[in-house]
Amino acid sequence: MPVQDRTNEFRACVESIRNRSSLPARAEAKQRLLQTRGRGEGSKSELTRMASAIGKDISSTNIKLGKLSQLAKRKTLFDDRPVEISELTYIIKQDIASLNKQIATLQAHVKQRKQQNTAKTSESKQLEEHNHNVVMLLQSKLADTSMTFKDVLEIRTQNMKESKDRTEQFMHSTSAATSQAPQNSLLFAHTQRQDPMGDGSKLRFDSKGKSRAVTPNNGDILAMDLTSAEEGTASHNGDAFMQMQLVEQQNDYIQSRSTAIESIESTISELGQIFTQLAQMVAEQRETVQRIDADTVDIASNVSGAQRELLKYYASISSNRWLMLKVFGVLIVFFLLFILVS
Amino acid sequence: MKIFSLAVVLAPPGKTCTILSSASDLSTFSFYQRGSVAEFMAFFTKTLSERTPQGQRQSVQENNYVAHVYNRGGAEQLAAVLIADQEYPVRPAFSLLTKLLDDFVAKVPQASYANANPGGITFSEIEIYLQKYQDPRQADAIMRVQAELDETKIVLHKTIESVLERGEKINDLVDRSNALSMQSKMFYKTAKKQNSCCLIM
Repeated sequence: MPVQDRTNEFRACVESIRNRSSLPARAEAKQRLLQTRGRGEGSKSELTRMASAIGKDISSTNIKLGKLSQLAKRKTLFDDRPVEISELTYIIKQDIASLNKQIATLQAHVKQRKQQNTAKTSESKQLEEHNHNVVMLLQSKLADTSMTFKDVLEIRTQNMKESKDRTEQFMHSTSAATSQAPQNSLLFAHTQRQDPMGDGSKLRFDSKGKSRAVTPNNGDILAMDLTSAEEGTASHNGDAFMQMQLVEQQNDYIQSRSTAIESIESTISELGQIFTQLAQMVAEQRETVQRIDADTVDIASNVSGAQRELLKYYASISSNRWLMLKVFGVLIVFFLLFILVS
Repeated sequence: MKIFSLAVVLAPPGKTCTILSSASDLSTFSFYQRGSVAEFMAFFTKTLSERTPQGQRQSVQENNYVAHVYNRGGAEQLAAVLIADQEYPVRPAFSLLTKLLDDFVAKVPQASYANANPGGITFSEIEIYLQKYQDPRQADAIMRVQAELDETKIVLHKTIESVLERGEKINDLVDRSNALSMQSKMFYKTAKKQNSCCLIM
C-alpha cells in the first residue's frame, strides 16, 4: 500500500463538519486550523514527497524481486541464466541499500521536524505521529522486501546444488574427467585471472571452447551425451557445471569455514539451552524436595507426640493402683460368687 | 583418511618451481612402489604449483588422490601442496596448508630459499604436521572444538535423563512421605484418645 495523499478528503470532511455546525466561532477556529495546515504544508509535503518516492522505489524493487524469484525457481538443467540472475541480484542489492539510506534520511527529517516543532497542539502531535507511522510503514516494507530477497537467494543456491547433483548423476563417470578438464583448460588458457569474484562470463567462453575440445574425446562422455538432445546442451551442461565449480572454488574454502563456525555457534547455543532446561528442572525438583522435608518433620513430631501419649498412658496405668485394686477386688468377688454358687 | 605427502614449494610466477621442503607418508604402498610414487608426487606437486595462480586455492583429483594446492604468493612466493586420499575433508586441508606456510615463513629466513636453493633448509615441523594431521578431527581446531562440543552435548543429554529419573524418584518419595505423615497423625490421635476418654481403669 503506497503512501496516499488524502488532503482532499480531509478538506471535504472539514467543509462538511463546518456546514453542519452553526457556530461562527468554531468556523473561525477551523479556518485558522486550515491556514496553519496550509503554512505547514510546504515542509510537510516535502516529507510526503520523499515518502512517496521511497514507496515507489520499494514497489519497483518488489517487482524486480518477483522477477528474480521466478528466475530462481526454474529448475531446468539447461536453461539456467546465471548472468541475468547475478545482475538482477546485484541491482536489487543496490536498490535495497539506497532505499535504506533514503529511509534513514527521511527518519532524520522527521526527528528534526519533531525537535523544531515545540508547539504542543494536538494537530502537531498528530502530524508527528503520522510521520512516524509513515516511516515505520516504509521500514517494515523494506524489511519484508529484504526477507523475500534472502529467501529467493536461498532458493537459488538450493536449486544450483540440486542441478549440480543431477548433472553429476547423469555424468557421474565423467565427473573425474570434467573436474580435470576445467583445471587443464584454466591452466592452459590463463596464467592470470582478472576477476577473482568469478563473474564467469569471461571464462565461460574459454572453457566452453576447451570443453568442446575435451569432451568428445572421451568415449563414455559421448555415450552419456546421447541421452541429452544435442552436443551443444551437453557442453553447455558441462560448462554450467564448470562455471558453478569455478564460482564454488572461489568461495568454497571461506564459505565452508564460515559454515563450520556457524555450526559450532549453534551447537554452543544448544548447549546453553540444555543447561537452562537442566537448571529449570532442578529448580522444580527443589520445591518437591522441600515438601518432603516438611513432611518428614511432621512425621517426626507426630510420632514423638504419640510416644509421649503412650508413655503417659503407661504411667497412668502403672501408677493407678487404687483403681486396679478395686477392679481386681470386684473380679475376685465375682469368682468367689461363681464358685460358691456352682 | 590419509595424507600422502605435504610440500612447501617456491613458486615464482611464470618460472619453474622448486620444492623447498617436503614430507611424505608412503607406508600404504608396497616397498617397491614407493620410489615411483614419491617421484610422481614430486612431479605432481611441482606441476600444480606452477599452474596455480597466486592467491588461489585449488583441489585437483587424479585417479584416487586429491591434491590441494594453496599458492600464497606474497613476498616470498610460496605455495603449499597436500596430496591426500579422497576422504580427507577439504576445509581442514586448506587450513593446514595455510598454517604450514605461516609457520614456514616464520621459521625459515627468506634468504635461504630466495635463490631457489633447497639444500640448506631444515624445516622439521613439516614431518610433525604430516603425522599430526593424519587425523584431522583431532588436529584441526574447528573440528576438535566441534567434536568436544558434541561429546559435551551427549554428556548433558545423559545428565538430563538422570535428572528426570531423579524427578520421578522424588515424586515417589513425596507421596510416601505424605502417606507416612497421615499415618503418624492417626497414630498420635489414637494414642491421645487412649489417654483421655474411657477412664475404665
